[in-house]
Amino acid sequence: MEYAELHCLSNFTFLRGASHPKELIEQAADLGYTALALTDECSLSGVVRAHVAAKERGLKLIIGSELRLACGLALVALAIDRHGYGRLCRLITQGRRAAVKGGYRLTRADLAILEHCLILWLPGERPCDSEARWLAERFPGGVWIAVELLRGGADREHLQALRRIGRETGLRLVASGDVHMHVRSRRTVQDALTAIRLNVPVAEAGENLHPNGERHLRERERLDRLYPRELLEETVRIAQRCAFSLDELRYEYPRELVPPGQTPASHLRKLTEEGVRRRWPQGIPEDERAALEHELALIAELRYEPYFLTVHDIVAFARSRGILCQGRGSAANSRVCYCLGVTAVDPQRGAQLVFERFISKERNEPPDIDIDFEHERREEVIQYVYDRYGRERTAIAATVIMYRPRSALRDLGKAFGLAPEQCAQLAGVMQWWDGGEVLTQRLREAGFDPDSPVLARLLPLARELIAFPGFPRHLSQHVGGFVISAGRLDELVPIENAAMEGRTVVQWDKDDLDALGLLKVDLLALGMLTALRKGLDLVNRFRGTRHELGGLPAEDPQVYEMISRADTIGVFQIESRAQMAMLPRLKPRCYYDLVIEVAIVRPGPIQGDMVHPYLKRRQGREPVSYPSDAVRDVLSRTLGVPIFQEQVMRLAMVAAGFTPGEADQLRRAMGAWKRTGGIGHFRDKLLCGMTSRGYAVEFAERIYRQMMGFADYGFPEAHAASFALLAYDSAWLKCYEPAAFTAALLNSQPMGFYAPAQLVRDAREHGVRVRPVDACESGWDCVLERGEDGEPALRLGLRLVKGLSGGGADRLIEARRQGAFASVQDLARRARLDRRDLEALAGAGALASLSGNRHLAFWDAAGTERPLPIEPAGGLAARGTDPIPLLSAPTEGEDIVADYASLGLTLGRHPLALLRDSLRSAGLCDAGDLARLEPGGWVRTAGIVLSRQRPSAAKGVTFLTLEDETGPLNVIVWERVGEEYRHALVGSRLLEVHGRLQREEGVTHLVARRLIDRSALLGALLTRSRDFH
Amino acid sequence: MRARRSADLFAPPLPKRTPPAAPLKTLAPPQPVSPAAAPAELWLGVQVMIGAKQAGPDSPPELGRLATLAQRLTPRLSLAPPDGLLLEVKGSLHLFGGVDGIRREMALECARCGLRGTLALAPTPLAALTAARAGRSLLVLDPAQLIGQLSPLPLAALRWPQKLLERLAFIGVRTIGQALRLPRAGFAQRFGAAQLGELDRLTGRVSDPRERFEVRTRFRRRRELSCELDNHGALLEALGPLLTALEQFLESRQCGVLELECRLWHRGRPPSRCALRLAAPLADARRLAGLLGERLGTLALPEPVRACELRSGLPVPRVLSSAGLWQPGEHGGLSEAHSPHLIERLRARLGSEAVKGLAVLKDHRPEAAWCVREPEACSEVSHCRPLEGELAPPASRPGAPRDATRPLWLLPLPRRLTERDGLPRYRGGLRLLSEPERIETGWWDGAEVARDYYIALDIHGRRLWLFRERHPPHRWFLHGVFG
Repeated sequence: MEYAELHCLSNFTFLRGASHPKELIEQAADLGYTALALTDECSLSGVVRAHVAAKERGLKLIIGSELRLACGLALVALAIDRHGYGRLCRLITQGRRAAVKGGYRLTRADLAILEHCLILWLPGERPCDSEARWLAERFPGGVWIAVELLRGGADREHLQALRRIGRETGLRLVASGDVHMHVRSRRTVQDALTAIRLNVPVAEAGENLHPNGERHLRERERLDRLYPRELLEETVRIAQRCAFSLDELRYEYPRELVPPGQTPASHLRKLTEEGVRRRWPQGIPEDERAALEHELALIAELRYEPYFLTVHDIVAFARSRGILCQGRGSAANSRVCYCLGVTAVDPQRGAQLVFERFISKERNEPPDIDIDFEHERREEVIQYVYDRYGRERTAIAATVIMYRPRSALRDLGKAFGLAPEQCAQLAGVMQWWDGGEVLTQRLREAGFDPDSPVLARLLPLARELIAFPGFPRHLSQHVGGFVISAGRLDELVPIENAAMEGRTVVQWDKDDLDALGLLKVDLLALGMLTALRKGLDLVNRFRGTRHELGGLPAEDPQVYEMISRADTIGVFQIESRAQMAMLPRLKPRCYYDLVIEVAIVRPGPIQGDMVHPYLKRRQGREPVSYPSDAVRDVLSRTLGVPIFQEQVMRLAMVAAGFTPGEADQLRRAMGAWKRTGGIGHFRDKLLCGMTSRGYAVEFAERIYRQMMGFADYGFPEAHAASFALLAYDSAWLKCYEPAAFTAALLNSQPMGFYAPAQLVRDAREHGVRVRPVDACESGWDCVLERGEDGEPALRLGLRLVKGLSGGGADRLIEARRQGAFASVQDLARRARLDRRDLEALAGAGALASLSGNRHLAFWDAAGTERPLPIEPAGGLAARGTDPIPLLSAPTEGEDIVADYASLGLTLGRHPLALLRDSLRSAGLCDAGDLARLEPGGWVRTAGIVLSRQRPSAAKGVTFLTLEDETGPLNVIVWERVGEEYRHALVGSRLLEVHGRLQREEGVTHLVARRLIDRSALLGALLTRSRDFH
Repeated sequence: MRARRSADLFAPPLPKRTPPAAPLKTLAPPQPVSPAAAPAELWLGVQVMIGAKQAGPDSPPELGRLATLAQRLTPRLSLAPPDGLLLEVKGSLHLFGGVDGIRREMALECARCGLRGTLALAPTPLAALTAARAGRSLLVLDPAQLIGQLSPLPLAALRWPQKLLERLAFIGVRTIGQALRLPRAGFAQRFGAAQLGELDRLTGRVSDPRERFEVRTRFRRRRELSCELDNHGALLEALGPLLTALEQFLESRQCGVLELECRLWHRGRPPSRCALRLAAPLADARRLAGLLGERLGTLALPEPVRACELRSGLPVPRVLSSAGLWQPGEHGGLSEAHSPHLIERLRARLGSEAVKGLAVLKDHRPEAAWCVREPEACSEVSHCRPLEGELAPPASRPGAPRDATRPLWLLPLPRRLTERDGLPRYRGGLRLLSEPERIETGWWDGAEVARDYYIALDIHGRRLWLFRERHPPHRWFLHGVFG
């Protein structure tokens, strides 16, 4: 008997469905079902995945949704064609938008928009004739009664009752299975999810659990025995009527960007030619013109003009508002984008870009351009997009939040009735660096017994939940992927509310959109762009110059000199300690060296073992050779070593005969092979392809190994090219305008790798005079003041003061404009500051110039009461009778502690300078000593922990950056040592390290053997390490 | 230092009678003029190390245990949760060999409880506690020295909110001494009057009354009878004074009892016992007498009684509630079946073990769908298993058949049935009446089931409830019988 399942939930019905869409499709195909309808509850989030899987297996997929109305009426709606699908999307959108995030609310009146859909009425346990009658009237000829026989003990009676209703209402009956899982064994997962959903332990979920595991895809023979024949036949008839496939979705680009009388192609041509005249005022070189024409032809052939016009429109808006932005991606680095002003990467100065990577004739996929904006002003751009295209045509892509080890353990702990502390402890067992699995060893260390009955049941469930790709838990919003359509977006995909006020997300994520070829523009936030704009503004104002991004003097040798010294604190992309360790070895001398530098310190090249060969060849210690001219073309830029993702793809093309489309598939497979293990067939193709073209097997194997390395994280040259521009610009600013550079970074916090303390310390080491926060002088931002010698001095701004409200700071600055403050009381009264703001200022030392010292200032501030409205100076009248206490002046240590507590930095001595005597007498040396000592020796030192890094490429090694009054110190902690001293490693602020000194090419490291937490010495010193994932 | 200027400005206030007359400039109280002034009180403060896990506002059990033991040192004892204990020991010093002796004894009690304690002695309770919490084994007998001794202690030992301590640190004030030097009004305005009050209690400027620790005790009293009794009525009368005493005992604590034992002593025989278990905390002597009378009535006395004794269980706080307007059983009143009186009366007559309550649990497994429990007075109707008729399937069960039948009688353990040709037999052949009801669940507690249930008719026409295991070897079991 043929059968089509018409009521089936996947795990995209969050916390109800217990199988992935792909599993359901595959199981249905294996069982020989005629078709499967995916009918997640008021959601189409899972349909793209199901669609892809169904196409692979040749199974017919029906798109539908289970809807439970507020009145209790439950039904399944199945789309029969594109129109019906669009209406279903709108209905879901309506229900989702009417409720808070995660929920939906629909009434019978809402069903009015439903057209071209077939309805399965879900009668529930006590069928109610009136529901059936209402539906029959509302959707004449399009309603069936879903008969779900689940071995409840009275299936026959149930069927009789429904037959009676059928006779009375004239509705036909159809079999369906209320499927929640693809196989019966997912019953435990399904029960656990139910308990999580209801927020009760599974043992107390009682009859909210299903009594048995019948809600799976059942064998057809069993259905034959259960259901009358005509009910099964009816499923197939319904399936035949549902002819809609997601393949029919035709995405249309927004049209309004083309002025009347123009075509998209002619308009793009016009804009490009304008750019050509701007970029090449002397006339475009011959080869560039040819390349440009090639790109335009390709764009025209694939009809991508509107995409480029959309990007251009957004960028043009940002420019008009003075918001810095820069495009990324190979399409962005095309000559067309260079002319459109999307990017400043001069393709000639840049690289031989693989334009095919994002635009390929073989794949009908849209190009992908990421645009970075100043992080503080991206919202303006987003609002512009919403305004320009309308909310019904614009939404952000979703990100599906999957279960990770921590969340799975926490939720399952609750479902097993563990106490909240225990759940937290259980979840806390997994550190972020433990990766995507639950380690029984970690559990043992934390005092859990993995073999205990509860954990023995819990852990397998946890593994089910986190097994790739992980059970989805909820939808969140993508960082910046916008979907824009020509017509109503809500007829293409349902839209729901995001957690953030005023934001809406579509129910599909990035991969889903990709798979269906929908346009997406990534509008991302980049702190460095903010900092660069602020820095250039400061310089221009101070010096009267007119520097702008992309217009700074290029290829300045002094800038490269500074970079090669690894003097790069604060510089974009090359400020991390791994980058700083590489810079003196690579010694960048030109823009392209920076592109390589940005890309080479990545897990991909490091794991693929490309760094050392490249450095050796660069330093002339190893000959540069190529197995063939074709390979030379690809790799000559990087001395024969593949460093960029594009090069690997090119190699596959020129050396192994891959087509561009195949190479792109390879790229995608590389990104996912660790999780899916699906790169094996590429290996054979690659090795065969290369050996048949005469390459040595060793060479082929090496290339393959390097590809595996890229799997973790390969960096595309196209992105590196854009980043390198910003790296150069920020380095230029640091080199020539260190005061402005530091002020701009401080004014753009939080961003980057270093905290204000390190930025300020670094600036002072470069001779910048830094002036303290002062209520009588400082503005909100850090600014440049003219020093005695006419050079800029950096005045710290009120924004650094912890706990000071923005409104309070504004009033203070306004009041100061009227006249200087005479006292703390005067300031409090005129600026109408409350005690909290005053105390924040006093704590920061910003009132010291008014009160004498910090202690007195705080006493004054704390004693200030907010005046009552009718008695403006009321609180201060008491001042005369308030005696001034004898307060000791703060000691240097107290000042430093208070500085750190309030500002996060001090202009006084480094805290360790105060501790130095006791540290010395304990036999600890400082970082300056270490730089002078011979490598190989055994040393002991201590420093404040600035950062801990655990790169995924480094196999459990932790890199620490410590700091004392003489400078920073790099510490390497091997996994074994880290495990032994885990507590000190994770928890210390001041850390004592014993270890062996290593020095390689001028970079000093300490390889730790023993770690001791010395945080107690710091007393109340509040330095917080920044941990990086 | 500012606190010491001229003594006459700081005339000593008369302790506890008049408030300080002159507004004083600093927080430090006046120094008593006479150095010989002995303190009116001497407090021993104890701070014990208690595991971090129960750092709540409630007293951890260890502290209560320690306090119970320490009662032998003094009757004036207060808890300072979560980790402190205060004893007023002035009167006990001579009993335990002075200051050293009492410290030794206290240390001993700490050790008996397996706790490590820090002990400090000072004239005010807060000073003793604060010193102990600062980890100082302070010994101040002379109130004049109190401030000097407290001065170096960190303010943090007062356990003030962290935010407040941070604010004080911003004016460089980290020790108690530094705080005491601040102007009073200025301090109160900036850091709160409550904190000023605390400093005053610390230095003894104002008194610091503390709630006395009292152990929850059981009632236990025996009465020797003037003549031997073998008449139940007379016995009950003889118990009267004891019951009255019990009532007073309970009333004074606003408690009631849930358990009460009466022991009757005979000559040359072990005592007879009768125990009452009550459905709700009770203190009323008349009702207790009534219940005891019921119980005694069923008791056969082996010998005449020469003494009687009442022992109560732990007193339980009574929930005071207003009675209904109607009597139980009357129109509009609660049904008689739910009155605690009925349950207590039944229990008194049949023994507490004989009266039980049943409750329905929400579980698909028949054996896990009900449980025995204490009968609850006035329990809501929905929690009680109906005594007759069938269980209606709860509305929340999705997809369940409407008339799912469950037998009233479940076998304690399913009984294995023999089979012939794959069909079950029970004293003859069985006829399966129903379609199967599949139940597979319960994997989370080790009692997983996977069964298909059937209703069957045996040769005598009785309806039985059977199941067949879903997994091999697919055995058949009898699980229940329909009434």
